[in-house]
Amino acid sequence: MGRMILPLCPHPHVSLSSYSTLPLKQISIRKIRNSVRALSITPFEMEQPMRGRALMEFPHLLAPHKDLMVGLISALDKRLHRHLLPSSATVPPEAEYYQNQSGASQGSLCINRGIDFILASWLRLSSPTGAMNITNIQGYLKSSTDAPHFQFELVQCSPTYFIFFLDLIPRKDLVLNPDYLKTFYEDSQLEALRKQLGTQVLEAKPYFSSSLYFRNVVSPTGIVVSITCEDGGTAGRAEEIIRDNIEPIANEVLEIWMDSCVCKGGTTTAGENERDQLEKRDRMIKSRAIEMDLSSSMPIQFGQEVADRVLGIIRGVFRL
Amino acid sequence: MAVSFSPILHLPHSLPSLLALKSSRTKISATGSLSSSSSSASQMDLHNQGRQKFIEFPFVSAPNRDLMVNLVSTVEDRLGSHLLPCTLPLDVQHCQNESGSAQASLHIRSGLQSSQVDFILGSWLHCKLPTGGALNITSLSTYLNPSTDAPNFMIELIQSSPTSLVLILDLPPRKDLALSPDYLQTFYENTQLDTHRQMLMKLPEVQPYVSSSLYLRSVLSPTVVLIQIGAEEGGPERMEEIIKNHLHPTAQEVLGIWLDHCACGERLVGEEEKAYMMKRDRLIKKKTIEIDLGTNFPRLFGPEVTDRVLGAIQKVYSI
Repeated sequence: MGRMILPLCPHPHVSLSSYSTLPLKQISIRKIRNSVRALSITPFEMEQPMRGRALMEFPHLLAPHKDLMVGLISALDKRLHRHLLPSSATVPPEAEYYQNQSGASQGSLCINRGIDFILASWLRLSSPTGAMNITNIQGYLKSSTDAPHFQFELVQCSPTYFIFFLDLIPRKDLVLNPDYLKTFYEDSQLEALRKQLGTQVLEAKPYFSSSLYFRNVVSPTGIVVSITCEDGGTAGRAEEIIRDNIEPIANEVLEIWMDSCVCKGGTTTAGENERDQLEKRDRMIKSRAIEMDLSSSMPIQFGQEVADRVLGIIRGVFRL
Repeated sequence: MAVSFSPILHLPHSLPSLLALKSSRTKISATGSLSSSSSSASQMDLHNQGRQKFIEFPFVSAPNRDLMVNLVSTVEDRLGSHLLPCTLPLDVQHCQNESGSAQASLHIRSGLQSSQVDFILGSWLHCKLPTGGALNITSLSTYLNPSTDAPNFMIELIQSSPTSLVLILDLPPRKDLALSPDYLQTFYENTQLDTHRQMLMKLPEVQPYVSSSLYLRSVLSPTVVLIQIGAEEGGPERMEEIIKNHLHPTAQEVLGIWLDHCACGERLVGEEEKAYMMKRDRLIKKKTIEIDLGTNFPRLFGPEVTDRVLGAIQKVYSI
């Protein structure tokens, strides 16, 4: 399949097609970084790919799941490439793709800084009882805006059981800020989309995370569902749901985020006090997210060395 | 819509004689009505008469009534000495529309200055539906003041038919939980509140319920019991059984947790935090009145009664 990771502002003297035949492995990351510094070219003018190859391969996933991920990331690239640095600026090759000793568990990490950052990843966790595929895209904004963050996660726990999470994470206490609730949630299509999933996919049920903290962080219009397909062993219905229901809704929510959050720039020109509050709150949410999701499972799956390496990068970019 | 209000009754002969004392202690009799040495007769009368109408919980099934009466009595027993009598005018404590097809009762008791309680609010609403059935809402909420940051308590049963009921049972937090994981742990994790939600969700008749108000969704805690119960198969008897054997004990337990850990607990609250909470508490009160009363009352009772009731509530709420 064709490469989806090309930047959309190629160097004027290099045509897209010739560039596309360059295998990435042959480009030294260090060389590119050095030339960036030497030429002082701003990121979007470079024909630097946004990320390594490993992420966009999304191995082991059902075809519609892979299409969904590639589609979301392409939409992000298309709208936001001016605001983002390539992942290689943050993630060294040995963290861009990693695996455990047997190779049965693998992961890929991509971080594009700029907005604050976009984090995309896939994780395959193998265990004696089976394998789990976790795909995740997070968009975090800086404290110069108070607009919500973006969160997407689709976890395939088994061929017929998925957990789907899609939300615009509020940056403020909604109870204290009903105007914020109105601007970003009541006046948007988010609730309609949440309802739409419920009526279109009868197999979707509300999912109650065991983490009370997580339950609280999710917005009132957040989609947090488990989907159980009675399939007789095939993945047909799961594929159908991902392709026909999850994909359009995820793309719409992503568009809403990019529209109202990145391009409009939030509700207030946040004063210093507000920025401090935002940063404090963001830091708390991010540190709990890592604690919850990764810090316990990663060492077990991948060994301490790999876990430290990957978590170190994530903590660095999360500024924790 | 014209409104008829309950006539003010004559004083019953059994009232004790009144002594003008400086103390404002009130004693609570076995029936929960007040006898006080310092309140005026009409104040006591107001409280007792209004309470009588309120505690009747007419129109709902016995298990629903028992649940509410039990909760109200428990609160009165534990917190009575911290509460003032209900001083709402009688025509606010009980109101109905001209035809009597809609009736409501409100019972609000403010906390003493020295207590941690802002006020307790109990209410019921009855409304005949054009389809022939009736809608009944029974509720009890407690609000603490900024001398403590502990969560509030609320329960609401919304029964639209003998086999269909929505239950909201929660300890709504007073702080932004995203910034306060310790608070989350103290009041929500250590108390095992989520087990109650999990237990009720196991009943086959129970489904999660999603409120149409986004604001209400944000006010509620992560362990809220927010469920709809559909007992079409088992019929009204099954619904009553569920209320009696499942909802009632659960509500009692959650109220017990609130009384032990929140109402009677001791919390240190700094000045900045107090200011923040006053602001937040105020907003919640304002918005929940809007949501609760603002939708039903004007439609059922007309603008005049609505204004009267809202005005009285706003005074107690001091908003």
